[in-house]
Amino acid sequence: MALRSINLPGIGTKYELETEKKDVVAVFFLKNGNIQMYTLPHDSSDPGVAELTSAEARRLGTILTGAIMEADRESVEIAFSALSDLRISIHTYTIGKRMANKSLEELQIRARTGVTIIAVSRGEKNVINPPPSFVFHEGDTLVAIGETDQLKTFEREIMVD
Amino acid sequence: MEGIVLALFVCLILALFTKRFALPSIPFYIIAGLLLGESGLELVAADEISRFLTDLGLLFLLFFMGLEIKPGRIWRNQSAFVSSGLIDLHINMILGFLVAYVLGFSLFDAVIIAVAFYISSTAMAVTSLIENHKLLLRESETVVWLMIFEDIVLIIFLAFMGNSGGHPLLIVVKICILLGAIIAITHFGRHYLISILKREDELPVLLTFSAVLGIAALSNTIGVPESFMVIAFGTILGTIDPIAFEIHSRPFKDVFLVVFFVFFGITVNLSSGAIPLFAIIAISLLAILSKFLSGMAIGRYIHKNNHSGIEIWSNTASRGEFSIAIAAIYGSAAVSGTIATMVIITSIIGAFAAKFSGRIQKKFSSLGKPVRPVPGTLETADSGRKDD
Repeated sequence: MALRSINLPGIGTKYELETEKKDVVAVFFLKNGNIQMYTLPHDSSDPGVAELTSAEARRLGTILTGAIMEADRESVEIAFSALSDLRISIHTYTIGKRMANKSLEELQIRARTGVTIIAVSRGEKNVINPPPSFVFHEGDTLVAIGETDQLKTFEREIMVD
Repeated sequence: MEGIVLALFVCLILALFTKRFALPSIPFYIIAGLLLGESGLELVAADEISRFLTDLGLLFLLFFMGLEIKPGRIWRNQSAFVSSGLIDLHINMILGFLVAYVLGFSLFDAVIIAVAFYISSTAMAVTSLIENHKLLLRESETVVWLMIFEDIVLIIFLAFMGNSGGHPLLIVVKICILLGAIIAITHFGRHYLISILKREDELPVLLTFSAVLGIAALSNTIGVPESFMVIAFGTILGTIDPIAFEIHSRPFKDVFLVVFFVFFGITVNLSSGAIPLFAIIAISLLAILSKFLSGMAIGRYIHKNNHSGIEIWSNTASRGEFSIAIAAIYGSAAVSGTIATMVIITSIIGAFAAKFSGRIQKKFSSLGKPVRPVPGTLETADSGRKDD
């Protein structure tokens, strides 16, 4: 795997990666803020091109790091290599019938699983750091933070219907 | 004043049109100017205000170009671009000069035309590479470095062609003193300047605008070439925070440069008759041909095949902002008309050539095998986006 990066004056920065199978993937961060991604199969001379906004590129990046991504469930894993490889996952979930109309206090999420709910999104509104008295509604999206194992426990014990 | 407003609105409509169809906008601004001005309907004429605005357009074009020039980076990549740059310089400059001289231009005018003939449009080359999705082609790096080389030739030309008069040695001394003063101020005042650029109020924009105008005025007063000083000023400021200065000067560049192009067209008189129309068109077509020759030569020399030559030609055939700038600074009426026509014809043909370069290459496929457009021509010296 050979990665090289180069500055192209007036255009932006190019990152180019050649895979083991000799396919080429190149990403250009353009000065206008957009991103162009080229892929060139090893047996072709016609590259494919995708133009991405920076938000789209970030999304693509999350997918490529191996995180789960579905329309209503996505997660990011952050690794702090300096802190003896501490890995923290942030995951979103949609509230189903089972959790609806219960408060955070009732559910005892942190005590039972170690997972912390850091935000809830309801329609157009976001509640950051919801209080223990916060009552979930069906269809709310919540953002949970914890280690991967803790999130698994959370999915098994609390989310299941 | 009404004239400027009319011209601006015509340009606005043209900008909407050209962006919609991914065409280069510069030739259309000039055509609009020709139609509105002396050569056409005579609806708009240049006046004091328009002259001031076009001056601003030229200053910010040059300042912007200066910001893009990073001496350190050029130094590291010199091997990659000196040979192709020299091929491009020799073929086009010599051919441009000869054809202009043969057609009856004076020696001075022929030199001016040769420079305008030589220098491709960086703006159009960059847009073409991005819009036509050619960034992965290894020729795109060659094209980008060719543009930088041409910029440097232009700077040297502007430094030596200062129309201020006076003994050359005296001018060199004055330039050195002025540059030294600017470098000293930016070096010792660096932190203060950065703190100003970070502010959210009107200060950064006001600083950028008045600094550029100030350098131009100062150069005029002490008799050094203003255009050269503005570029050098941009390069020096680019060592502090190029992105901030770009952001704060971009609106001025964008607006005043459009005014500059349209009023260039307005003041050009194509019907003056000094040079017959066929001669002007001949120069323009030769300008396409000569970039084809230099492109093929560079393609063969650097990439070892003809397809690369066509790719390089199609992206560099357009003449544009810098040719017009040369005409505006030094051109007589006949020279300006010639360069205006050359820019219009080369940029429109160039735009289509760049769009259909793939098909043109197929027509040429009997000349050599198609080559995989892959990587690895330049050894990369710097990595990361830190100084971008």
